[in-house]
Amino acid sequence: MLQHFDPNKDYGTPASLSEKQVTLEIDGIEITVPEGTSVMRAAALADINIPKLCATDNLDAFGSCRLCAVQIEGRRGLPASCTTPAEQGMKVWTQNDKLAKLRRNIMELYISDHPLDCLTCPANGNCELQDMAGAVGLREVRYGFDGENHLDAPKDTSNPYFTFDASKCIVCSRCVRACSDVQGTFALTIDGRGFDSRVVAGQDENFLDSECVSCGACVQACPTATLMENAVIEMGQPEHSVVTTCAYCGVGCSFKAEMKGDKLVRMVPYKGGDANHGHACVKGRFAFGYATHKDRIRAPMIRDTIDQPWKEVSWEEAIGFAARRLKEIQAKYGRESIGGITSSRCTNEETYLVQKLIRAAFGNNNTDTCARVCHSPTGYGLKQTLGESAGTQTFDSVMKADCVLVIGANPTDAHPVFGSLLRRRLREGAQLIVADPRHIDLLDTPHLGDAMHLPLRPGSNVALVNALAHVVVTEGLEDRDFIAARCDDGAYAKWRAFIADARHAPEAVASITGVAAEQIRAAARAYAKAPNAAIYYGLGVTEHSQGSTTVMGIANLALATGNIGREGVGVNPLRGQNNVQGSCDMGSFPHELPGYQHVADPVARGRFEAAWGVTLDDEPGLRIPNMFDAAIAGQFKAMYVQGEDIAQSDPNTQHVEQALRSLECLIVQDIFLNETAKFAHVLLPGSTFLEKNGTFTNAERRINRVRKVMPPVAGKEDWEVTVALANALGYPMAYRHPSEIMDEIASLTPSFAGVSYEKLEQHGSLQWPCNAEHPEGTPIMHVDSFPIGKAQFALTEFVPTDERASRRFPLLLTTGRILSQYNVGAQTRRTANQAWHDEDVLEIHPHDAEERGINDGDWLGISSRAGQTVLRARISERMQPGVVYTTFHHPGSGANVITTDNSDWATNCPEYKVTAVQVEKVTQPSQWQQNFQANHQRQQKFLRDAQPESR
Amino acid sequence: MSNEKDHLIKMINQIARNNSSAGDDSAVADVVAGHIKKFWSRRMKQQLFELVEQRSERLYPAARMAGERLRSAQVN
Ligand code: SF4
Ligand code: SF4
Ligand code: SF4
Ligand code: FES
Repeated sequence: MLQHFDPNKDYGTPASLSEKQVTLEIDGIEITVPEGTSVMRAAALADINIPKLCATDNLDAFGSCRLCAVQIEGRRGLPASCTTPAEQGMKVWTQNDKLAKLRRNIMELYISDHPLDCLTCPANGNCELQDMAGAVGLREVRYGFDGENHLDAPKDTSNPYFTFDASKCIVCSRCVRACSDVQGTFALTIDGRGFDSRVVAGQDENFLDSECVSCGACVQACPTATLMENAVIEMGQPEHSVVTTCAYCGVGCSFKAEMKGDKLVRMVPYKGGDANHGHACVKGRFAFGYATHKDRIRAPMIRDTIDQPWKEVSWEEAIGFAARRLKEIQAKYGRESIGGITSSRCTNEETYLVQKLIRAAFGNNNTDTCARVCHSPTGYGLKQTLGESAGTQTFDSVMKADCVLVIGANPTDAHPVFGSLLRRRLREGAQLIVADPRHIDLLDTPHLGDAMHLPLRPGSNVALVNALAHVVVTEGLEDRDFIAARCDDGAYAKWRAFIADARHAPEAVASITGVAAEQIRAAARAYAKAPNAAIYYGLGVTEHSQGSTTVMGIANLALATGNIGREGVGVNPLRGQNNVQGSCDMGSFPHELPGYQHVADPVARGRFEAAWGVTLDDEPGLRIPNMFDAAIAGQFKAMYVQGEDIAQSDPNTQHVEQALRSLECLIVQDIFLNETAKFAHVLLPGSTFLEKNGTFTNAERRINRVRKVMPPVAGKEDWEVTVALANALGYPMAYRHPSEIMDEIASLTPSFAGVSYEKLEQHGSLQWPCNAEHPEGTPIMHVDSFPIGKAQFALTEFVPTDERASRRFPLLLTTGRILSQYNVGAQTRRTANQAWHDEDVLEIHPHDAEERGINDGDWLGISSRAGQTVLRARISERMQPGVVYTTFHHPGSGANVITTDNSDWATNCPEYKVTAVQVEKVTQPSQWQQNFQANHQRQQKFLRDAQPESR
Repeated sequence: MSNEKDHLIKMINQIARNNSSAGDDSAVADVVAGHIKKFWSRRMKQQLFELVEQRSERLYPAARMAGERLRSAQVN
């Protein structure tokens, strides 16, 4: 009698994971459920809906409202069904007179202290209190409404996205539990007892000033209108919804976009989403206002030179202009003089088309992607060692980890929903080891057990990871059986001899890492001895001149301890942008066709040639930094950039700007006039994730559907623009829908062979490899074997970066992200998220500040070998003395004016994380900033001139 | 042009240094050559060959050896 699981329904309590089944009878119906399932959930699974208020199925039952009382044969009283586990042979009744009376009494009490403005309440039509009043048949409130009540309690409107209207609160504590159990922030408490109890944020502050990170979990959990999205208060309840995928970070949360016509009212995290299970962060849930921002580019534009105003033209004219220029340039400077950049924010289908356009229509392999500047070392390092350029686990796998090693990542800010899951696991007692120059928030997780922080010096990751492996090997902590069965003997023997050498000992590298040897030894032992140990890493690993070496070192460590191939372990790159994994999978790199098939591989290339009807170049093309160099050298003349802002995101801004200025044709496709577009000749309006169909692939290789909920502002989805450009260049493309593009991808990419839109509809999402061997996808990789047969240990010599602190530049600058802003900020800066971070600041240790006479809030000139910029000071003890830190979310900050063009030896991923700098007090912006402002004003005017009727 | 070649020299030397544990110069050169063959564009390889022809002193021995091997493999 079990009904099909419906992710839109609230089953009252969480699912039990037990494998043992029990059978009980509810209202005469026999039901079999996993042991540990509550009576409430068992009933709901059989579509018997017991009234409830304080229970909801993403929170453990609390048993406070008593509305869910039931009668159970042989038990005294009327137990709460949400807190009573189902038992074998149990007989339960959910409806009888006694129960009805009890429930009515309870509701009567609630309603007597609740405003009766249902008709004008924003929750009207979607309020559990209202529903329950109906369900229990409440007809009168005998206590009257004149007694003591909370009807005048004040509203808290400090948060830009939601309102707390305390007069409507029934003190069910769902919000408090959501904040602690789901989000892990513990910003809310119930203060007082009995009638006086009330919900309090922080130390009785308003929400904005408290520790609240605006994830919205409490708003979603609230059964009344007490916590309510401002958008719903303003627009009313939505009338339909569409399931889609967040376009911010690599967690790839699923959402229900709740709509009124083609207006998006709110984003509600989707319980059926396997990456997020109904949770979200402030970006995905609330920061979507950029999609309808007045700055959106709404029509194609062209101009002959970048010193001219833009001219608004039709799509045909813009595409024709672009195609003509590309052809002229190729005729004049050769086939290899043009190229393009795919976007990790666009869909798989769009990315695939851009690289196809470049390879097939441009006739060269000059395609690259912004993953170059973030996770290219992951692709390289994991392919060398494990044989596949991807993380090995699901996010859920962390719930089985006993020890979690986080290296160079800040999950609570950059991957918040995974950060919340990790915090949950840490509260359950898993051991945490953080290797990071900065004291990250994860280390302040409430109710965290033992945690170790290895505050290493920027640039010493390889030395640290080698030292960890050295301890594993020399203290006999290896997993010999795993190594013998799963790893290549020869490579292992070489590696073992290499890593056992005394130069890798923690004591020997202490002066390099700045971490005490004993701490490294303790961390290595904890990692190696845990039954399940998992490594999570981010850009703090990859964005170094030895990024690829560290990735291989991480894989070595996991292999040596047998922490690969099951749940709870693995090597997990936390990907920055929503579709970094996908853009790499789709053949964006100059040396690889989709599915990481090398362009020199005649068999793979032959298949693409046959399908695409062209001869393909068998030599790799240029990477982004090589394109810049070639542009400055006068050999590279045109670029098609889809959805990327290389002028802001790439290092050494002045070098990038020089390269962009050298181009004769720069085609930028974006939703805004971004920094790169200021150097463009053709500006093609992009579409947001809300305006198109496609798929994104998250950091767990999960392919999720992106579904169109509103029409594109300029009439075309991004893939349609690429199709038009290909056709104008004389290379025919004739797709009618992104699903046809996916079918082509599946036919040419072995790891995607089993993927189709139809199958995605059936399964919700699929983790590649998905093919004949794994028809339902592959949650955990390398379970029985590696794609290369046996895993390969790699030799990971530590070669320090050329970028060193010196007398002239005595501090090391490292860069990172914060929760409320996303990457270059083009989207989040155009939302109310500005309330949390409206400028980039330089964090500096009190010791370094004092030495320079710097106070909090002073303007600081920061100079490096590459350039100068000016930021405001924030005194902070999060870093060691000698290390300073900033973010790069605001273009005018010019954080990348100071980063250098040092890069990873294997992939040219820039070394954003280490720049030697000097810092001093100043009174005015840097020269670059002044020029930036002047150019910004001028380019904005060019844009306004093109759009005479101001929109 | 010099800027571009400076970068190439820096890159290839960096590849050599980071693979120094592969063995002697010849063994390192094998790794470097394999890497360049797989990842560098035609244009970058051509520039490397020019540096090899000019017997650039700025190339590390293993890097130069790698360049020579790739060049002769291409010629033959
Ligand atoms: S928005 Fe999130 S962090 Fe803030 S109080 Fe609610 S649950 Fe807690
Ligand atoms: S704010 Fe909402 S969820 Fe929180 S206690 Fe009040 S009614 Fe319950
Ligand atoms: S965690 Fe990432 S994917 Fe999820 S809502 Fe936040 S930004 Fe979007
Ligand atoms: S729903 Fe069970 S006690 Fe509130």
